[in-house]
Amino acid sequence: MAAHLLNRAGFGGIPSQIDELVAMGPAKAVESILKADDDSDLFPPPSMLEPRIRSEFHHREKDAATEEEKKTVRKQLNDAERRSMLDLRSWWLNRMRYTSAPLREKATLFWHGHFATGNQKVNDPYLMWFQNETLRRLALGKFPEILKEMSRDPAMIRWLDLGQSRKDHPNENFAREVLELFSLGEGHYTEEDVREAARAFTGYRVDPETGAFLFREREFDPGLKSFFLKTGAFTGDEIIDLVVAQTQCARFIGRKLWMFFVSPDPSEETVSGVADLLVSNGYDIGATLGTIFKSADFYSPHIVHHQIKGPVQWMIQTTKMLGIPLPESPVLENSLSALGQVLFAPPNVKGWDGGKAWISASTLLYRYNLAAFLLSGRARVPGGGNHAMAAIPLGEISPPKDRLGPGELIDTLGFRIFNVPVPERDHSAFMRFLSGKGIPYDDRTVLDLMQLMMSTPDYQLC
Amino acid sequence: MKSPKEQSLHTRRQFLRTSVLGGALATSVPLFLEKTFLCLDTMAAASPGQITTGKDGTILVVLQLAGGNDGINTLVPYGDDAYYKARPRIALTKNDVLRISDYAGLHPKLTGLHSLYGDGNLGMIQGVGYPNPNRSHFRSTEIWQTASDSDRNESEGWLGRYFDNCCRGADPSTVGVAIAGVTPQAFSSPQPKGIAFSNPEQFRYMSEAANDPASADKFMREMNQPGGIEHGTQSENSGGSIGMLSGSADSDGSTVEFLQRIALGARMSSDRVLEITRKTKSSVNYPASQLGNSLNLVSRLIAGGLPTRVYYVSQGGFDTHANQIPTHDRLMTDLNAAIYSFVADLKAQGNFNRVLVISFSEFGRRVAENASGGTDHGAAAPLFILGGGVKPGLYGAYPSLTDLQDGDLKFNTDFRSVYATALEKWLGAPSEFVLGKKFPLLPFV
Repeated sequence: MAAHLLNRAGFGGIPSQIDELVAMGPAKAVESILKADDDSDLFPPPSMLEPRIRSEFHHREKDAATEEEKKTVRKQLNDAERRSMLDLRSWWLNRMRYTSAPLREKATLFWHGHFATGNQKVNDPYLMWFQNETLRRLALGKFPEILKEMSRDPAMIRWLDLGQSRKDHPNENFAREVLELFSLGEGHYTEEDVREAARAFTGYRVDPETGAFLFREREFDPGLKSFFLKTGAFTGDEIIDLVVAQTQCARFIGRKLWMFFVSPDPSEETVSGVADLLVSNGYDIGATLGTIFKSADFYSPHIVHHQIKGPVQWMIQTTKMLGIPLPESPVLENSLSALGQVLFAPPNVKGWDGGKAWISASTLLYRYNLAAFLLSGRARVPGGGNHAMAAIPLGEISPPKDRLGPGELIDTLGFRIFNVPVPERDHSAFMRFLSGKGIPYDDRTVLDLMQLMMSTPDYQLC
Repeated sequence: MKSPKEQSLHTRRQFLRTSVLGGALATSVPLFLEKTFLCLDTMAAASPGQITTGKDGTILVVLQLAGGNDGINTLVPYGDDAYYKARPRIALTKNDVLRISDYAGLHPKLTGLHSLYGDGNLGMIQGVGYPNPNRSHFRSTEIWQTASDSDRNESEGWLGRYFDNCCRGADPSTVGVAIAGVTPQAFSSPQPKGIAFSNPEQFRYMSEAANDPASADKFMREMNQPGGIEHGTQSENSGGSIGMLSGSADSDGSTVEFLQRIALGARMSSDRVLEITRKTKSSVNYPASQLGNSLNLVSRLIAGGLPTRVYYVSQGGFDTHANQIPTHDRLMTDLNAAIYSFVADLKAQGNFNRVLVISFSEFGRRVAENASGGTDHGAAAPLFILGGGVKPGLYGAYPSLTDLQDGDLKFNTDFRSVYATALEKWLGAPSEFVLGKKFPLLPFV
C-alpha cells in the first residue's frame, strides 16, 4: 500500500522507495511525505523573460524608426517568449520528476488545475512562473490564504480581467469565477452576490513595469455591499472570508481534493466527511490530506489502482519507474499536448476534467506508442525523429536473479510497472508470451515484456 | 419482408459480429459490448433518422480557418466605396473580384468556389458572429467550439454534445474523426468520443518497436480485448472505516471496463482506418498542403465506408496583422484548390450529395486596414456552406461597413443558427439538446 501512497501523494516510486516507506509503517510514512524538506535550492528558476527585459523590448519597439525594425523587435520578443515558456514547462516537469518533496509538487499541480490560469491569455511566462511559485509555497497551507493570494496574483488578474475592473464599472469575470469555480460551485450564490463581490475586487492592478501587484485606492469602490446576508464596506479579502465561512465552500474544496487525490465520484457522505476535516483543520490542506492518506478508505480496493493517470502523472511516473530522464523537449511537448495536458495552458477556466476525459482511442494508442518509444526509441512519435532515448538501466530493473523463470520475471516486473499484483488474466497472457523463450531471459525479451505490460488498460491506472 | 430500417440493423449487427469483432470473437461477444450494441439497435429502431450507417448517412465536414480569416477580403464588398476608403492599401480591385452580386464577390483566387457557386453547390452566410464578441483567438475559438454565449464558460464541445446526445450506442471512436494532432475542443465531452490523428500511420500500435514485432502485435491484441478482469466488483471494504469518512468506499468498478472498451475501439478503428487509407486512392490530385492532405484523407475514409458522420479539418495561418496581401493570396489559393479537389473527388465517388462542408473562423478582421498593410482582430464574418445538398445563394445581409461596433462588422446571424441548421436539417439531430436552446434555422439545406 506504500506504492499507492507514493502514486497518489506524488508521482510514484521505484521498489526501493516503496520498501523504505513500508519499513516506516503507515503513520510515519504519511508524516514523512507531509514533512518532506524544502528542496527549492536544487531547482533554480528557469531562464526568465523578466518584466524589466520585457519592457526594454517594448521601449525598443516604440523607438524603432521604421515599421520593418518594429517588426524585428516584435519577432525577437515572440521568440523570447516562446523559449521562456518551453523552459518553464520543462523546469516544472523536471522538478516533479526529481523532487524529494513530491506531495508539494502534486498539490501545486492540483491548484494549477483549480485556478486554471493559461498563458494563452496571460501571455507572459514570467507571470506564469510567479503564480506557480506562489501556489507551490501555499499548496499545503490554508485555503483562504491561497484564495486571497490568487486574487492578488498578477497572472490571475490578467487571466480574469481583474485589471480592467474599475470603481464605476466593475468587471464581474473574476468575482464570478471565485464563486463558481474557486469556492462554491454553480447554484450556491446569486447574480446579486456576483455583482456585489465584483465591487469589492475593484482597484486590483498589475504594475506594467515591474509585473507586481498593486492596489489602486482611487479605483476601489469603498461603498456598502450586501453579500450573503451581510452588509458592510467589504474589501476583497473580507468577501473571501465570507465565502469560506459557507459550509458549501468546504464541501466544494473537499470534493475536488477527493476527486484529484482519491476517486472521481465521492459519495455525499464522503464529501461531508472531507468538508468536516477541512473545517476542523482550519482549512489546512496538508493536515486534511494527511488524515485522508492515513484513513482506511484511502486504501480500499475500490480506490487502489482505480485512478486513471493524467498525462503528466503518466509521464513522470513512467520515467521514474524506468529510471530514465524525461524525454527531450520536442517529444515531451508534443506528447503532453497530444495527450491533453499542456502545463500553463489548461483547456479553459475550468481546468482539466481528468478521469475518463483523459482517454480516447487516439490518446490511448498514443500512450502505448509513447511507452514503446521510451523503452526502445523505436516507435515513431511526433518529435521523436532524432532524439535517442536514454538507455533503460535494465540490469537494475531486472537483475539476473529475476530472470530465471517466468513467474519471477512477471511478478517482479509486474510489481514495478503496475504496483499491484498482476491480474490473473494478464498473468496467463504474459506466461504464454514467455513460453518458448530461452532462460535466463535476455534483455530483448525483458524489454518486449515490459512494452507489452505498458500497452494495456491496466497500465493507465494508478 | 424486412423494412429498410430492419435490414440496416441486421446488416449492422452482422457487420459488428463478423468484420469488426473478428470471426473468432463472434460467438463470445463480451456482455457489455452486447449491451452497447443492443442499445444502439433499440435507439435506431425508436428514433427514425437518428443513426444511419456509413453507407448512406449524411456527413458533416467542419473546416476551421484558424487565426481569424479576413472575411471582408474573402467575400469582398466591391460595390461599396466605404470598402475602398477603409482599405486603401489592401482592398482588392473591382475588376479582379469574382462577382456574386452587384455588391459582393469572391477573392480572385477562389475561382473553384466561384464555379461551384455557379453550379449551385455553394452558399455564403454573411455577417455571422455572436453578441459581445471577444477578440482573443483563444477565447473566441473556445466560444465557437463550445457554442457558448460569450460571457459563459463551457468545457464541452458542441460536437461532443452531439455525439453524447445523438450517437449513444454507436462505436464511440468512429462517431467523429478530426484530422489533427490534438483533438479539437469541439469534440470534448466527459467521456471523449471520436478520434484525432494527423497521419493515419500514427494512429496504430507500432509493434515494430518491439524486438519481436509479430509476437508483440499478437499479445497486444489479446491484452486489449475485453474479458473477465474482475476489477472493483468486490463489495467488501477491507480495512474498516475511520468515523469521519464512513461509508466512503466510492466504488467505480467501471474504470477498467471503460478502458477496455476504449482499447477495443482504438484497435478496431485503427485497423479500419489503416485498411481504408492503405487501399483507397483518390481519383484526383490535391494540393500538397496540410488542408489538401486532410481533405484527401477525409474523402478516402468516406469512400472506404467508415461509419463516421462528422469530420473536422483545419487550415492555419490566417492571423494576418502585417503585409496581408501575399499571405492571404496564398491561403485563398490553397483553400480553393483543396476544396475544389475534394468536391471533384466526392463527385467521382458519388458521395457529393451526402456531404455538407461548413467553414468557420474564430473572428473576422477589422474593417480598416492597419499601418502595417494588415488587419487586426475583428468580429462578424461570412462563412461558406458547400455540398451537393446545399441551396446556393447569399444568406443574411452584408453588414454595413460604416455602422460599426468598435471598428468591426456587426453580426446579424448567430453562428449557432448555422450549427442548429446543420444538426437539425442535415444530421437529423435535435439541436436544442446539443446547443442548450433553440436557434432559428436557416434555409441553406
